[in-house]
Amino acid sequence: MAETRNSEALLVATRLDKVYGDGEASTHALRGVSLSLREGEFAAIVGQSGSGKSTLLNMIGLLDTPSDGSIVYQGRDVADLDKGGRAKLRNGLIGFVFQSHYLLPEFSVLENVEMPGLIDGTVPRPELRSRAEETLALLGIEGLGPKNANQLSGGQKQRVAIARALMNRPALLLADEPTGNLDTVNTNLVYDLFRQLNVRLGTAFLIVTHDRTIAERTDRILELTDGELVQDIRTSAVTGER
Amino acid sequence: MKNLLPLRIAWRFLASSPAQSGLIVAGIAVGIATQIFVGSIIISLQDNLLNNTIGSAAHITIKAIKESDSVRYTPEMRKLVTSDPRIKPGTVVPVRAISVLYSNGSDSSSLGIFGANLKELDGIYKLTKNTVAGRASIAPGEIMLGTDFAQKFGISAGDTISLKFSNNQAGAFKVSGIFDLGTAQFNLRNAFVTPDVPQNVMGWGGDEYSSVQMQLKQPSDSARMAQQWSQQLPGVSILEWQGQNKNLLAGLVSQSVSSYMIQAFVLVAIALGIASTLAIAAVQKTRQIGILKAMGLADGPAGQVFLWQAAILGAAGSACGVLTSFGLLALFTLSPTPFTISMQPGFVAISALIGIIVALLSSIIPTRRTSRLDPIEVIQNG
Repeated sequence: MAETRNSEALLVATRLDKVYGDGEASTHALRGVSLSLREGEFAAIVGQSGSGKSTLLNMIGLLDTPSDGSIVYQGRDVADLDKGGRAKLRNGLIGFVFQSHYLLPEFSVLENVEMPGLIDGTVPRPELRSRAEETLALLGIEGLGPKNANQLSGGQKQRVAIARALMNRPALLLADEPTGNLDTVNTNLVYDLFRQLNVRLGTAFLIVTHDRTIAERTDRILELTDGELVQDIRTSAVTGER
Repeated sequence: MKNLLPLRIAWRFLASSPAQSGLIVAGIAVGIATQIFVGSIIISLQDNLLNNTIGSAAHITIKAIKESDSVRYTPEMRKLVTSDPRIKPGTVVPVRAISVLYSNGSDSSSLGIFGANLKELDGIYKLTKNTVAGRASIAPGEIMLGTDFAQKFGISAGDTISLKFSNNQAGAFKVSGIFDLGTAQFNLRNAFVTPDVPQNVMGWGGDEYSSVQMQLKQPSDSARMAQQWSQQLPGVSILEWQGQNKNLLAGLVSQSVSSYMIQAFVLVAIALGIASTLAIAAVQKTRQIGILKAMGLADGPAGQVFLWQAAILGAAGSACGVLTSFGLLALFTLSPTPFTISMQPGFVAISALIGIIVALLSSIIPTRRTSRLDPIEVIQNG
């Protein structure tokens, strides 16, 4: 087992509010949500459809900005960052896996996986290639490198998307319904994979799901109802599986 | 490597839609080919027209203010004229001209004869090159006639003709050669003899001439030079070709304006074509750009993707357009044309560059749109 990251606070979100629209037509998507996440934590956000799960995840992923509240990554308040700074932080610190794989059809699997490294631009190309191949191997899909994303099955596409999210070895991987388009077998495979990667790389995981049984396989469940965080519990998985 | 990522993405986007990319390259190519083809024909036509009009004529003529007086070609005037860097070397010709009467018994005609050395005359009139019969020679007792005059009176090289001067004296001259300067009026009305013939008739001194003629490296400088010299050479009249050919110039300017209009509309059509295609491409690739931005691609490099696409399309389209224009002009020259069409490398290069610049300008809207795209729009819309 690889060395896991330390348990210091990776993320501290404080009293996050998100309001869409103005006046009477406004919708309160998040209401004062506060949470913190340690390095290497393995957590899930659950809730009904429309409860604000994805909104919270997008905000933590710096894809969206809160109407109020603060997000602090490794001691740095992201409100102090401009768009470029937020993009850089997304590229280096955060990996995304969405329900739809969002692979780039114009590029091969290997190039898709390399892309976050190419965007970063600081790692020499040969090293990038070797890291991409290593990441594909980590996910057990090393043979898919030269293929085009369109030639893959749903499960394979999602694995490639996970490999891409891990390319820059982020401290946090955010997954929004990552198995929503997969069958039960592939769903289980993906969650097993998440757990293995969490243990092996020490990457923190925050997974949005509406499926409580899947959430129970994580170490911590954050439950949202109507934009409010109503529950934050440690599951048996903490002691049972790890 | 980081800076080349937008180029790489741009190339992949273009390669993923070969039909769309091919069509837009073809559109630019047709536009640039039209631009070069039309432009080259107009430029060649104008050059040909100008060359016919002033290629074998004086661009600037210094004369006495009173028509019948002589102008003194003083050392000061010679220094001023020959030291001006705008003068085409070897084309300053002091000329003595008089009017004579030719008669063959049944028919007669007045003839303006220029007296000057053949070598000097060659500088402007290119007599040696334009001799179509006999030989180019102006020795004492010899005369060179224009082809239209010779035809009108049935004169051939080697014949001897008699001319009557204004002082009622007459002289016999052997026709050494017949020239064709490309202008029927000149060929019909003028002839060349040694400088002493008009000098003796007019009784002029060694530095007295009817006019001092010259050509310029850039004929378009004539008006400005004439104005400058008018102040430096008081007591003489300075004539320049533009002032004497205003109708021709007006025609050339009108032709240029219509040519520019055609070229401008072609460029506008190219710009609209590229802009609309790139705008569609930007919409088609919104999802990909959003994903790339979600992965951390900054606004600047994201916008550059479509700038690079425009640059690639512009460069490829311009290159194909240049090649197509070569083909079109080659085809055009297969049929007999009254003038020679030549492609000026500078004009071709500028046309190709304009193609690329127009393509780049056409990418402003998609570039800005892409640059401003918020990744959450793509992520939220699935």
